[in-house]
Amino acid sequence: MSPELNQGVDGPLFKRALLGSLSWLSANHEEVNRLNVFPVPDGDTGTNMLLTLQSAVEDIKESDAAEVSKIAKLASHGSLMGARGNSGVILSQIFRGFARAVEGKSSLTPAELAAAFEEAANAAYRAVNKPTEGTILTVAREAGRAAAAAAATPGATVPRVIAAAADGARAAVLKTPSQLQILRDAGVVDAGGFGLQVILEGMLKTIEESESLNGALAMSRPQTPVASQMAVALPEEGWGYCTEFLIEGSDLDLDVIKNQIEALGNSVLVVGEPELVKVHVHTDDPTRVITLAGRHGKLLKLNVGDMSTQHRRILEDEGQAARAPRPNGVGLVAVVAGRGLVEIFRGLGVDAIVEGGQTMNPSTQDMLTAIESVPYDEVILLPNNKNVILAAKQVLGLTKKKVHVLETHSVPQGVAAVVAFRAERPGAENLAAMKVEADRVHTIDVTHAVRDSRSNGLKVKKGDVIGLINDKLEAAGSDYAEVVNKALGKLDGTFELITVYRGKDATDDELAQLESEIRSRYPGLEVEVQQGGQQHYPFILSVE
Amino acid sequence: MKRTFAVVTDSTADLPDDWRERYDIEVVPLKVLFGEETFRDGVDINNREFFERLATSTKLPTTSAPSPGEFAEVYERLAKDYDGCISIHIGAQLSATAESARVGAQSVEGFKVAVIDSETVTMPMAFLCKVAAESASLDQATAAVKQRIPGCRVLALLDTLRYIEMGGRVSRAQAMIGTMLDLKPLLLVKDREIKPVDRVRTRSRAIPRMLEFFESDLPVEYVGVMHAQAPEDADRVAAGLRERHPDLEVPISQIGCVLGTHTGPKALGLVYIKK
Repeated sequence: MSPELNQGVDGPLFKRALLGSLSWLSANHEEVNRLNVFPVPDGDTGTNMLLTLQSAVEDIKESDAAEVSKIAKLASHGSLMGARGNSGVILSQIFRGFARAVEGKSSLTPAELAAAFEEAANAAYRAVNKPTEGTILTVAREAGRAAAAAAATPGATVPRVIAAAADGARAAVLKTPSQLQILRDAGVVDAGGFGLQVILEGMLKTIEESESLNGALAMSRPQTPVASQMAVALPEEGWGYCTEFLIEGSDLDLDVIKNQIEALGNSVLVVGEPELVKVHVHTDDPTRVITLAGRHGKLLKLNVGDMSTQHRRILEDEGQAARAPRPNGVGLVAVVAGRGLVEIFRGLGVDAIVEGGQTMNPSTQDMLTAIESVPYDEVILLPNNKNVILAAKQVLGLTKKKVHVLETHSVPQGVAAVVAFRAERPGAENLAAMKVEADRVHTIDVTHAVRDSRSNGLKVKKGDVIGLINDKLEAAGSDYAEVVNKALGKLDGTFELITVYRGKDATDDELAQLESEIRSRYPGLEVEVQQGGQQHYPFILSVE
Repeated sequence: MKRTFAVVTDSTADLPDDWRERYDIEVVPLKVLFGEETFRDGVDINNREFFERLATSTKLPTTSAPSPGEFAEVYERLAKDYDGCISIHIGAQLSATAESARVGAQSVEGFKVAVIDSETVTMPMAFLCKVAAESASLDQATAAVKQRIPGCRVLALLDTLRYIEMGGRVSRAQAMIGTMLDLKPLLLVKDREIKPVDRVRTRSRAIPRMLEFFESDLPVEYVGVMHAQAPEDADRVAAGLRERHPDLEVPISQIGCVLGTHTGPKALGLVYIKK
């Protein structure tokens, strides 16, 4: 055995190890950020830990102390000064515990190093008011335990102890979703815990490199060397499938099943009795899990969920808030056409959409079907077109539900009305408030004349661009910007906001021209453009 | 008579301009990070500079709590002149600041620090500091402040949901805005939660709504108005309040850098403590 193999952790070595941690965390902190959902999903855990570690290492860079205790003390002080965020504060307490454990020591044996890791975790637990399992705390403790176990084996070396700590951390990180509901829901591992794993791996990498530089050692590498690369890559590979089922059989051996399942995934849960066993596992290969389990008995209540989709769904925010039943028990149904407009109305909380509008008037039956499909006994129906109102009113005698037809003449009126809807307000009050808001909005419909005509003192030829203000022909011309300008000029009062719903047939150039025209003519107004996707009306404008 | 205890808060209290001197309040700054650049809120960067930078920055800034060491330094300094202090901080559901203060206080021996998790943010904290500053003893201050925490309210109009959404504190669905449409949410911070109150399309519709909501939540002990670079709107809200409640002082303060990171520019706040 070379002398290096038995080298303890002295000041210079610990310094190198910490610098290695810093560069490894620096390379991976964005990955840590992405995992951040607990306690607040603000995506800054990695940055906070990195800044904390930077501060810990700051003074160390200048130090050539030979004693490990001095370096550890500098790290403890620096991290305390620079601690950011929950994970950063806990990290600083880990350094503090480590520094206390190695006080007065110039160099650490493998056993002393392991003891310091354990004490570091204990200090972190003590510092936190209400320790939560499944976080960096758990990971620190498991890393310490693994280090202690490695130190207790004959022939233990410093690199092996650190490797064991990193391995222990990695295993603990993978288990965090089974300990913390929010992680399970989000389909991620704990960000702070993962950050600690990265830090330990950074140490390990550095020590391994310096060992090989010394040419001293062909260390028995941990089972997954540089484990993080796998862990870091995890999100790209997807989160796998959450697979759950019951096995019905006789004399089922839980331990046997558990062992088999554990080989195929993580977050494994196998519970129950010899006749009925519940299995839960996160796996990349649900088919294999199912085939294997099927050999033990009959499978019931099989459920396989793609956790990547679950994760995406959370990101897209189709949360429960939008789906929760409304306290007022009032549903919303709207008549709309155009892909963008349908999306807008849905996004505002409308429960059912009846496709239709100006040239495609929906039938009373269409509206009735939509109303019946809504899980509320009271429903507000928005026709959003004056030609639909009559048919909408026919619904009233045809259903047992209490239906209110709010006579919105246009899409802008419909949007204004739905915006004013409040889930905790009774139907009648909502109706009144929605009507006030709908009446407050002016609508400018921009389209082409379908034939030569004379109306409201204006002579138009077939194909001319025409503008209708609140259903009345008020402007005509040869292009959209001109007609919109004329129409806006005819409106009285002061306005704050113009929303432009772009139709299917309007080109990018036409939109750009219209937008710049409005902005230059009315510099104080807010202009918002939405993709309405409606037919026949290249532009619908809402002025309020 | 000089107080025997100090009053400490953090920069998210968004104290009105002269309160620091008037009530002798020690303010520990949080930090705002634009990329790799770190600024101490109100020390290295003021509100105007912050919002100018926010407008031109391509990546949104992030914020972070003061470190335990920074708190320890402040407490150690105060220990020379005072027997103890009350340290009133932004709600722990929103920031690690109170936790950091608690850890920092542990390292200062012989100096009593009553760390208060205000459960709220911005000017209600300023009112709590005023309550503490006007108390006769640390124990009385602590009791008076704790008693008022459940009554703290922040009614905020955001000009856009973009910033608070990016910051991860509130999602579109939570704000009743599951749409592409640019709605302005009216949010209420109450009982450790951020809840939607209403959503409006234009600012002029929002101000009457804010006043209406306030009137339905009386009686109140303290009320104030906040703004992020929208002084005229703040004046309108304050004028509306003073007209109906001539007995109440209505201080106006600015939304600082840390809160501004989450509200974005042009946010308006009506803040109060219920009786």
